[in-house]
Amino acid sequence: MAALLRSARWFLRPGAAPRFPISLRLLAGGPGRPHAALCRPAARAGPVARGLLSQDRLYAIAAEKNYRQEEPTSQRRNASQFDWALMRLDNSVRRTGRITKTLLQKVFDNACVSGCPGGNQALLLLRSCGSLLPELKSSERTELAHRIWDKLQKLGTVYDVSHYNALLKVYLQNEYKFSPTDFLAKMEEANIQPNRVTYQRLIAAYCNVGDIEGASKILGFMKTKDLPVTEAVFSALVTGHARAGDMENAENILTVMREAGIEPGPDTYLTLLNAYAEKGDIDHVKQTLEKVEKSDLYLMDRDLLQLIFSFSKAGYPQYVSEILEKITYERRYIPDAMNLILLLVTEKLEDTAFQVLLACPVSREDGQSDFGSFFLRHCVTMNTPAEKLIDYCKKLKEAQMHTSPLQFTLQCALLANKTDSAKALMKALKEEGFPVRTHYFWPLLVGHQKEKNVQGIVEVLKGMHEIGVNPDQETFINYVFPSFDSVKSARAVLQENGCLPESNIFSLAELRCEALNGNLDYVLSFLESNTLSFSFGSLRGSLILGFRRCVDINLWSKITELLYKDGRYCQEPPGPTEAVGYFLYNLIDSMSDSEVQAKEEHLRQYFHQLKEMNVKIPENIYRGIRNLLDSYHVPELIKDVNMLVEREKTDSRKIMQLTSSDLESTLEKLKAENQPIRDVLKQLIVTLCSEENMQKALELKAKYESDMAVGGYAALINLCCRHDNAEDALNLKQEFDRLDSSAVLDTNKYVGLVKVLGKHGKLQDAINILKEMKEKDVLIKDTTVLSFFHILNGAALRGETETVKQLHEAIVTLGLTKPSTTISSPLVTLYLEKDDLPAALKAAIDLYEKYKILPRIHDVLCKLVEKGETDLIQKAMDFVSQEQGEMTMLYDLFFAFLQTGNYKEAKKIIETPGIRARPARLQWFCDRCISSNQVETLEKLVELTQKLFECDRDQLYYNLLKLYKINGDWQRADAVWNKMQEENIIPRGKTLRLLAEILRNNNQEVPFDVPELWYEDEKHSLNSSAPSPVETNIHKELLNACQWKKSKDAYNIFLKAQKQNVVFNSESYISLIKLLLVKDSFIQAMQVKDFAETHIKGFTLNDAANSLLIITQVRRDYLKEALKTLKTTLDLKQTPSRIAVTRLIQACALKGDLENIQAIQKMVNGLEDSIGLSNMVFINNIALAQIKNNNIDVAIENIENMLTSGNQTMEPQYFGLAYLFRKVIEEQLEPAVEKISIMAERLANQFAVYKPVTDLFLQLVDSGKVDDARALLQRCGAIAEQTPIFLVFCIRSSRRPGKSPALKSLLELIPELTEKEEAYSSVMKSYVLDNDVSSAKALYENLSAKNMKLDDLFLKRYAVLLKNAGESVPFVEPPESFEFYAKQLKELRESPL
Amino acid sequence: MAASAVRGAMALRTTGRPVAFVRKIPWTAAASELREHFAQFGHIRKCTVPFDRETGFHRGMGWVHFSSEEELHNVLQQEKHVIDGVKLHVQAQRRKVLQGDQTSDEEKDF
Repeated sequence: MAALLRSARWFLRPGAAPRFPISLRLLAGGPGRPHAALCRPAARAGPVARGLLSQDRLYAIAAEKNYRQEEPTSQRRNASQFDWALMRLDNSVRRTGRITKTLLQKVFDNACVSGCPGGNQALLLLRSCGSLLPELKSSERTELAHRIWDKLQKLGTVYDVSHYNALLKVYLQNEYKFSPTDFLAKMEEANIQPNRVTYQRLIAAYCNVGDIEGASKILGFMKTKDLPVTEAVFSALVTGHARAGDMENAENILTVMREAGIEPGPDTYLTLLNAYAEKGDIDHVKQTLEKVEKSDLYLMDRDLLQLIFSFSKAGYPQYVSEILEKITYERRYIPDAMNLILLLVTEKLEDTAFQVLLACPVSREDGQSDFGSFFLRHCVTMNTPAEKLIDYCKKLKEAQMHTSPLQFTLQCALLANKTDSAKALMKALKEEGFPVRTHYFWPLLVGHQKEKNVQGIVEVLKGMHEIGVNPDQETFINYVFPSFDSVKSARAVLQENGCLPESNIFSLAELRCEALNGNLDYVLSFLESNTLSFSFGSLRGSLILGFRRCVDINLWSKITELLYKDGRYCQEPPGPTEAVGYFLYNLIDSMSDSEVQAKEEHLRQYFHQLKEMNVKIPENIYRGIRNLLDSYHVPELIKDVNMLVEREKTDSRKIMQLTSSDLESTLEKLKAENQPIRDVLKQLIVTLCSEENMQKALELKAKYESDMAVGGYAALINLCCRHDNAEDALNLKQEFDRLDSSAVLDTNKYVGLVKVLGKHGKLQDAINILKEMKEKDVLIKDTTVLSFFHILNGAALRGETETVKQLHEAIVTLGLTKPSTTISSPLVTLYLEKDDLPAALKAAIDLYEKYKILPRIHDVLCKLVEKGETDLIQKAMDFVSQEQGEMTMLYDLFFAFLQTGNYKEAKKIIETPGIRARPARLQWFCDRCISSNQVETLEKLVELTQKLFECDRDQLYYNLLKLYKINGDWQRADAVWNKMQEENIIPRGKTLRLLAEILRNNNQEVPFDVPELWYEDEKHSLNSSAPSPVETNIHKELLNACQWKKSKDAYNIFLKAQKQNVVFNSESYISLIKLLLVKDSFIQAMQVKDFAETHIKGFTLNDAANSLLIITQVRRDYLKEALKTLKTTLDLKQTPSRIAVTRLIQACALKGDLENIQAIQKMVNGLEDSIGLSNMVFINNIALAQIKNNNIDVAIENIENMLTSGNQTMEPQYFGLAYLFRKVIEEQLEPAVEKISIMAERLANQFAVYKPVTDLFLQLVDSGKVDDARALLQRCGAIAEQTPIFLVFCIRSSRRPGKSPALKSLLELIPELTEKEEAYSSVMKSYVLDNDVSSAKALYENLSAKNMKLDDLFLKRYAVLLKNAGESVPFVEPPESFEFYAKQLKELRESPL
Repeated sequence: MAASAVRGAMALRTTGRPVAFVRKIPWTAAASELREHFAQFGHIRKCTVPFDRETGFHRGMGWVHFSSEEELHNVLQQEKHVIDGVKLHVQAQRRKVLQGDQTSDEEKDF
């Protein structure tokens, strides 16, 4: 042997450096360079001196190889995959010196999914299976390596020698026992030539098991091949001799090395040290260490850590502390120590691991950062006994290394579903005085729930009991009940096992669960027999869902009545009226508009039954419900809810708003005094209408007919329509016309009239109304068209042929809406309902001939098929195929057969040669099946279209899954998954996600990887031309950037796409333009707009984008363009935003551009309400423009006329000129200020119109012109009496910062105001907002001097201000929150005194 | 008239309720602990910490609905919020505001 070795020197090339100088070694292990974790002894046998160096080189080489070898085009995807994997693994190694199993698994799975992974990827994966995985047992790591090896080979990866070597390396690192000769044989079989590295590693493999003979054999072989022998080989031999029990020879190897001309380096010494450590020979270890110290060699902390591992692994933990003392704690020490700790835990040497952990130099002073979590987590994974865990936790806490080790460990145990450890840890927590909370048990329950493991659930509940934690309702409902077939069986099993809680929690959970499932019978009987007391509120959410799932209205009513009347359920202060009112509101709010429409009759019945039961709801909640119903397009229900309003209380609580009876007495008084009653009458009529008191309102109208105003008529007409009173509605309408033939009602009122007149057979009158709508150019919205449809359809269902025909004719010929399948379908419905099929078919055909629409042809065909009317079917089919083509006819017939269950016939049709998929028609039928829940029909459709040419199978299955999801049918969904595989369909991401969702919702395991959700527009899935991946990516990027409001990024992406000739859809461009406009990148926005306009046919901006564009143009003073944009917007029938229009008008006014303001006024005429534009905007700005043009007198005259002439457009109290005044003052238009002042005073003094002068006064105060304000006040004392206007000013100002000086001045000018609660509260709020302590003090003292009783909210505000200023509070600060007092105050104001 | 305007103003103020969005809630705390902590700042109308039914853990996020902006303001003023020794991240829940409509107050003065 020695001879053999001595000759080894001749293998070495002369001059080759046999060892690495220290500097290079340090570099290899220096900070910032990726390197491996702790190397196991065998790892030292690497081809290069340090295994560490080889680690990062391999990554580098692999990456390089990738770029050089692979074709850029065909392999681009692979390359990017590889980059991603490399980046992830490399990052992990760089940061922590290790890789987690999950990460490796993920990279592996990814490589498999991508098809055939490249050789470099294979290398990367294989070489990660060694010491980079300290958290895995050696055997598991090797197993993983083999799994990867086999799998990749199957996928077609071609292995070369580098792969075999990598595998060898993994074997060595994992101390895997294998036969080197077999390994070589295997390589030979694969026709791969072993290289030097292979031999070196095989030598190391022999040496690892102390087989010197084997090693020698290989060495001899190397010699024959003239291969050089390196330090690594000698190091391996040291291990070899040592493991063979021959320490003397092991030590001798060093001499041999020197003789061969190789000076032993630190690696060799470390190998020797490890050899001694394995024998527990501390003395020799110490001696060797001293020897190394004396030489110019240097051992790193990492080397010492390895020594620690060798000692403890060999069973000599007693020497660990001695080695720890020698550690110098270099900069990279912590990650290395962490890896050693993990490795020790994996080897079940957790006590040594903990010893190393405690010795770690971590800062403990701040008591904030936690260290040791990784250790605790890994201990839990490796099933370290709970007592040990608890002990470690205590010690970590004592050592101040971790703030909450027990809680953390418990979390790990819960995550890993280790029930026993978790229980022990919770007990320990409790003993330590920490709370153990109910939700700590939920993860354990979830674990059992997934397997429906009832016994496991029971065990957890018992455990809870032991620890003294009571399960709450959530625990039962969310985590216990789902594992049982029914709540009943849950109760039985729990009772049997003695873990039914004694309290009523279980019963309540049961109740909520049954309510949720719509089992209202149970709920009712429970509530009736119940002896528990609980609040209605706790049941509300579950009950609402239950109501919606149950159609038995009697149960609805009975339950509601019980909750209302039974004191057990509504004990809390607001009382049953509030509780039930709130419940009704929430019930309706939780339903969609279509649901409410569908259940209209149910709800009506329900409300009537509640009325019978004398259930009441508060007025304010009624108003909320009214608004909801209005927005759902079911105003007919409003009167039914109105019956429930609690009247008595209404009167008293509305102190400020006059009630009908108050108004009535005022009216009589005025009448008696012979004063004008017009306004009061109108108010009274409107109030009565809102109280749904038609009788009284009509009586009043009759009594005071001559004083009726337009507004009163409008409300009254609407009321009569709602009450189905056609006679009076029509009379009123005629009176209304006589009063003012030019007056226009709003659209809904016209529609109401048409509806009620049509219903009562007054066809000519209804048609006249329609004509009037056309003449007066009433706004027709989508909802209006929908209402027309409902009117026609209602008549069709009632079988009123003439009504349908005449009204339809009028609507269409007047051009109120274009003929469409929807609006015209009632003409066909009419006959379908009467079962007059020939007439129905004729009606459809007539409509086609007239308007080219064919409504309800599907339904007609279905009926014909059902009745077996062969001749008529033939007629229909001839017509369709002649007019719309044979394909359309075939689809029509196919759907009709499917719908009627004639599957055989359907099959024949769809198998007609030449028929191909029509995605839109198929989707139409799918949607129909889904919305009417026809499972079988849809299943048949999917089945029969299997062979259909160009059929998008995935899309059809997607639809099927959608339906299964609605029905919660996971078994069928799961079957779809199999069928798709059978059919070899590659599902889209959205299909997989949907499937996963269904399975998860039903507590099933998901058998595939769910693709991540991206911006995917489902609408586009039907598009035939699929965009290329590059396009999709860049599109995603754009949407992403827009979403995160990164305007620059988004714009750059746009430029990039432009270069690549990628065109996005309109929506994307609009989003981008909007974003750019918001960020004031006007030029870029216009550039995008131009591009979109030239690349997308008919591209236009939407309302929001156009509005933003107007605002931006105004800001940049491009008024002409802004006007153009407004015009375009309106031409497109879009509604611009109020702010955009207002800004534009204001900008014109400031330029004195009267003409354009008037032009805008014309443009938006009729749209004011939908834009939300007040007429005052025009009045203010026209005046301002006139003043700017020096036409002050004209402006003033106009305003004065408006306020003093008989036909006022605006009631004086709403005639706000604050904006005009402010601008005039701001712009220092002195002559205008003077004249306006004179006008305002004249209006006040001569016409008793005080609003303008008060507004002017306030604007003077607001702009700091206190002296002018004072002078005005002296001239016009009546200003001081305009308290309401002041209060509004106070309240509004108090919401904005910086207004306290104005408010202060106002109080000084009008001192009486100080006594008004609204005023002083607002002023205090403003002082607090502006942090004006001295003024606040003055106000407080002033008020206290007057002995005013200050409310708590006021005091609270003041106290907080003082406290923040560091001053003492001269009274007891109200202890509750702001909200508490605000609410208290509100209640106080509303309740009668 | 003023009276109704005052009421209108009050009603307006109560429409958009202030909400604190809380992140980094330790796993040991649930809605009741959150409520307990934030109750010192005002009346809590609603407090939610949604749990993941798949794991039985929450995701570290929660929402605390206050009754007034002032209360929320007070919450945000406090430098540190700690539950079970863990520092929470608290921020105001951003409401969806119409773009470009920041100074709407001005135009309402007509």
